[in-house]
Amino acid sequence: MRPQPNQDRRSVRRRIRDHVAGVIKSLVLVGVTTIGLLILDHFFALRHVTLVYLVPVVIAATKLGITPAVVAAIAGGGASAFFFYPPIYSFLVEDPQHLIELPLFVFVAIVTGHLATNLRRQAELARRRETEVHDLYAFSRRLAAAHTASDIYTAIREHLAAIIGRRTILFETAPRGAIGATLSDQTKVPELVKRATEALAAGRKGHESGTVADDGEGHAWLLRKVSGKTGDFGVLAIDVGQRGGETADAIMERVDAVLGDATATLERLDLDQAIGEARVRSETEALREALIGSVSHQLRTPLVSILGAATVISQAPANRSDPRLASLSDILRNEVDRLNNDVQDLLDAAVISSEGIRPDPEWVEPADIINAAIDRRQRLLAEYRVVLEVPDDLPLLYVDPILVEQALGQIVDNAVKYSQLGSTVTVGARIEDASVVLSVQDEGIGLVGDERTRLWERFFRGERSASNVPGSGLGLWIAKAFVTANGGETDAFSQGADRGTVVSIRVPAVAPQSQELAVGDDE
Amino acid sequence: MSKAVLVIDDELHIRQFLRAAFEFEGFTVREAANADEGIRSATLQPPDLVILDLGLPDRDGASIVERLRSWSNVPVIVLTVRSREREKVRLLELGADDYVVKPFAIGELIARARVALRPRTALPARDPVVTVGPLEINLAARSGTLGGKRLLLGPKEYLVLQILAQHAGKVVTRQQIMRHVWGTSHLDDTHYLRIVVRNLRKKIEVDPTRPRILLTELGIGYRLAP
Repeated sequence: MRPQPNQDRRSVRRRIRDHVAGVIKSLVLVGVTTIGLLILDHFFALRHVTLVYLVPVVIAATKLGITPAVVAAIAGGGASAFFFYPPIYSFLVEDPQHLIELPLFVFVAIVTGHLATNLRRQAELARRRETEVHDLYAFSRRLAAAHTASDIYTAIREHLAAIIGRRTILFETAPRGAIGATLSDQTKVPELVKRATEALAAGRKGHESGTVADDGEGHAWLLRKVSGKTGDFGVLAIDVGQRGGETADAIMERVDAVLGDATATLERLDLDQAIGEARVRSETEALREALIGSVSHQLRTPLVSILGAATVISQAPANRSDPRLASLSDILRNEVDRLNNDVQDLLDAAVISSEGIRPDPEWVEPADIINAAIDRRQRLLAEYRVVLEVPDDLPLLYVDPILVEQALGQIVDNAVKYSQLGSTVTVGARIEDASVVLSVQDEGIGLVGDERTRLWERFFRGERSASNVPGSGLGLWIAKAFVTANGGETDAFSQGADRGTVVSIRVPAVAPQSQELAVGDDE
Repeated sequence: MSKAVLVIDDELHIRQFLRAAFEFEGFTVREAANADEGIRSATLQPPDLVILDLGLPDRDGASIVERLRSWSNVPVIVLTVRSREREKVRLLELGADDYVVKPFAIGELIARARVALRPRTALPARDPVVTVGPLEINLAARSGTLGGKRLLLGPKEYLVLQILAQHAGKVVTRQQIMRHVWGTSHLDDTHYLRIVVRNLRKKIEVDPTRPRILLTELGIGYRLAP
């Protein structure tokens, strides 16, 4: 650790050194200009040379800063008096016109220099703003997409690494209340730095906000706490290079400045809250998946008994003749079917988000998929007009038939759900640009606004029917997941409210290697 | 004499409604709450049909079917859940006769049970002609007619019809068909089978895209309409 005042003295010294260097450079510029002028003066008798000294002044102002510019202005004035105004090689000036000219020049030069310096600052500022805004935009987009706390940490780390331009590691400190710090060591971190970070993170709040650590290999690491509104949420370790070198000091200073800005930004974005929320979210997500899994298994078993018992009762000789009992058992059966579908959706959703889908592809007749989806829904479709448009010369598909059939079934369920009883549902298949498209067209409520795209979102329910049509908003999300897992795409189209919807599944058609052999072998 | 059904299921309520349903249909019903009890019951007094729920606590379905098959030809219908296609195929290959996906309406199971109770395979010696709607398959003459008209069948097409007819109404896995038609060398080239079935359907179905005779069990295999 290094005491603070020492560091200050160092930076003051460095700043003076920078200024001196600038002044020397500006004097060199004036010198070069003078030599040039002297050479020219040798050939042509120059009269108003003073103005030419504006050139080094402007250069010094734009490249070196205001002090070198002022020095250049005075030096330029002096050089004019000394070399060009009689008496030559003396600072004395005889001509009263020159007497006015010289102070005027110095004045104009200083003003010009000042303006040029300002301009340069503005340009630099604008450029920096632009990159900052660009970085920040990219950063906030990543934040928005971040789902877990560690996503957010990674985003912060990469953001800071980008603006600092150094190897940067972000250690996340444990949620408040926990002792010590959990360090995400995805990168190789020198042991000494790690220990120093832990010490810093564990240190009393407010006492230390940063320190410098040695990694034992000659590199110095700058450690800084990164804070949000409610406290520290991490420690940043930045590799500033060779210890003690001049550059390391300069970098350290710049890092501190950048970090100051960055921390303010993080505070504005309320990151620590976002991190907390992400932590809670991933925990609840895991809990929910576990719940969904076990609950739906628990629900399944009684459903089997209920449906079985209900259908037995409805067919019992004593009940068969009574239409009231028959209709009651119908209700029972329909509700059990519905409940079973919901449970199945939950199970599917749990599988999709926990394990992911592993398709088991084989060659399938497209018509078989459509028929299975329709036949499994005979009861549901009994009160609709179902039209099948399936050509008999479609290419075979190489997909998991069960998954695609489930997807198509979800789409059919959805079509029926938002259509009038007795309306037509057309299920078709066609070939289109080397793909087979399975489509379901209904005459239902159609799609409005952003429903066409939002339709595929998990838990999305159209506003017009969310209250009066039962559903979980999982069906089409599942359909899309199943189709995507099979290398296909889903799409929806509607001409507007109450003008029906066409939902399609597009699966690339691949040719079997040896189709000819099988056919040629026959007959 | 009424046929005896052995229900092996660990869920009391499922056994109860299965008992009621089969008794309404004139079967006698015996129950077993776990695999070992079921196997013991089947050994002591062979039933005519076994309904086996998968997911019993003490044994997995495959080993039960294997055990039963080691000494008995009793028809076995397994109760299973959706999206366990590989398991279904495996059980069918091991000798289960059919499967029903839970939850099911009882009519479906009874219908499957009746089909399963038919003679295990149609043998030319017993009754050489298998009839499915307008389609007649003569296993002795190795020929088929549709509405009385002779069908021109390719050899592979006939072999597919043959194995399905022999199992009359029961599901036959695509691997079983592939083995029967092509031998063991092309077991993974299921598109051969799909193409042959497509051609066959063009000959025997009114609408080949909406078959009524040669039915597909998606992900499993085929069956002739019962």
